[in-house]
Amino acid sequence: MNDIILKTTNLTKKYKDFIALNNVSVQINKGDIYGLIGRNGAGKTTLMKVITTLSDRTSGEIELFENSDKDLTQTKRRIGCLIENPAFFPNLSAYDNLKYYAIQKGIVDDTQITDALSLVELTDIKKRKFKNFSLGMKQRLGIAFALLDNPDFIILDEPINGLDPIGISHLRETFKKLNEEKGITILISSHILSELYLLANKFCFIEKGKVIKELSKEELGLECSKCIFIKTPDITKVCTILEQDLQTTKYIVINKEEIRLYDYLDNSSIVNKTLVTHNIEVKELKETGISLEDYFKNLVEESLYD
Amino acid sequence: MINLIRSDLYRIFKCKAIYVLIIVIIFISLTSVVLMEPFSVGISVSTNTNNTNGVELTNELEEADSLGEYRRIMKEEGAFALDKEIIGYNINMYYVFIVLVVLAITTDFSNKSIKNSLSSAISRKEYYLSKLILTLLLGTCFIFFNNYISYILNYFINGKGFYSQLTDITKITLIQLPMLYGIISFLVSLAFLLRKTSTFNTITIPFIMLFQIICSGIIGVLRINTDFYMNYELQNALTNLASNPSLKYILYCFILGVLYMLIFNVIGYLSFKKAEIK
Repeated sequence: MNDIILKTTNLTKKYKDFIALNNVSVQINKGDIYGLIGRNGAGKTTLMKVITTLSDRTSGEIELFENSDKDLTQTKRRIGCLIENPAFFPNLSAYDNLKYYAIQKGIVDDTQITDALSLVELTDIKKRKFKNFSLGMKQRLGIAFALLDNPDFIILDEPINGLDPIGISHLRETFKKLNEEKGITILISSHILSELYLLANKFCFIEKGKVIKELSKEELGLECSKCIFIKTPDITKVCTILEQDLQTTKYIVINKEEIRLYDYLDNSSIVNKTLVTHNIEVKELKETGISLEDYFKNLVEESLYD
Repeated sequence: MINLIRSDLYRIFKCKAIYVLIIVIIFISLTSVVLMEPFSVGISVSTNTNNTNGVELTNELEEADSLGEYRRIMKEEGAFALDKEIIGYNINMYYVFIVLVVLAITTDFSNKSIKNSLSSAISRKEYYLSKLILTLLLGTCFIFFNNYISYILNYFINGKGFYSQLTDITKITLIQLPMLYGIISFLVSLAFLLRKTSTFNTITIPFIMLFQIICSGIIGVLRINTDFYMNYELQNALTNLASNPSLKYILYCFILGVLYMLIFNVIGYLSFKKAEIK
């Protein structure tokens, strides 16, 4: 399960003086649902465009399915994409638009088209012209296009834009199903962290073209969930006290001065008292816990000072 | 690459535009044949080029009060190969080619649907080549269609004395192809350079007229020897190729056509190769 689907190394994209991507190195393994989070203009779409060769990179390397740059054209056939807004021929119906791409991809079995349409619940309006579609319908057709030809890896750029809550929930279930049952790896971008949190298992925060944090769902959960934050120079001693005196291992060491404790949440005074009894210098001890949105905001703010 | 051409053909023949274009070509051919003038509807309206009595004939035609009278005057002027005359004005196919390039290429840029093709299945080289081949293929079909439909309509409407052998029509069509391919290549390269239907149309539609006006102006002002212009300017070359040209002239036009194709397509591909797809 650790096959590498996508690996970028120091990927940089410059537009004259503007750096859209700054040494971006990410790795997506088989089976991942990789959430790319960033504000508008952070570089999410640029990263996706560079990966799919819609945009040229200035420097850096891309590996797809463990194939280097030279073989990208061939390996791209295993990818399904929806980059930016869904774009199709306005005078063709949903079915004809997909048929066009099916011919292009060498798909001879038309049931693949109907399957893709049914996955996004567009079967009933498959004969309606694209120009008469609502934004949500267009988005769903874009996703159907990405799923055409049973790709191994799908890249979706803000796919839930314009969808109603029921549509979003349906798509979320569809993506999860595709990931679990067919083993499809997904790279999905959004600026709505709470929505991505329900779907992705890995997260990459991007700001001003730079990756500012990459973490798993568990790690993100821990960082955001309620805990007791302890700041102390005696980190080793504190760990021993927590395990021996307070009988808990529900903690993580953030760095050489900080610990997050996920136990004794309603009794932080006991923790404090125990540490003081052992002559531990406690610089800070507080109950903390932030929402996903606040976490994202903090990350962005921190990155501005870097 | 073949798949992309096939898919584009599927898409193009699902649109009304291609059928409207076919009807327009039939209509232009029909009016040219009925009025016995090559491309009566077009930019190069003129009476037959064999006629030496141009002014008198024009006056006589202006006084004709019915189509029957008009056609009687034209027929009395004597027999001439009207179908060859029509083919000699194939520079008008330029406008047909604009429509074909819009259908095959710029519409993909304007709708931004090109992203779907380039992001998953096709390289830029394949994309450029398949679009070029598709446009040349459609262009060739329309050139033959235009020439044969003019021949057939002329054969049945004007009859003996006004039509040529089918083999002659085929031969002229074939020797005109390199120059016409040069025009198609110019339009294809411009489509990949501009990447937007509205800009492409704004530039290409008046281009051929402006080009001829500017060339004539420069020749007039600078008193340049007009031999090359008269022989190899696109409209003149196509007309000359339809009037029993020498083998040497055919060869020169062939080389010129191939050169146009090479130059324009290299420019077109290079501008597209590194372009940012928006």
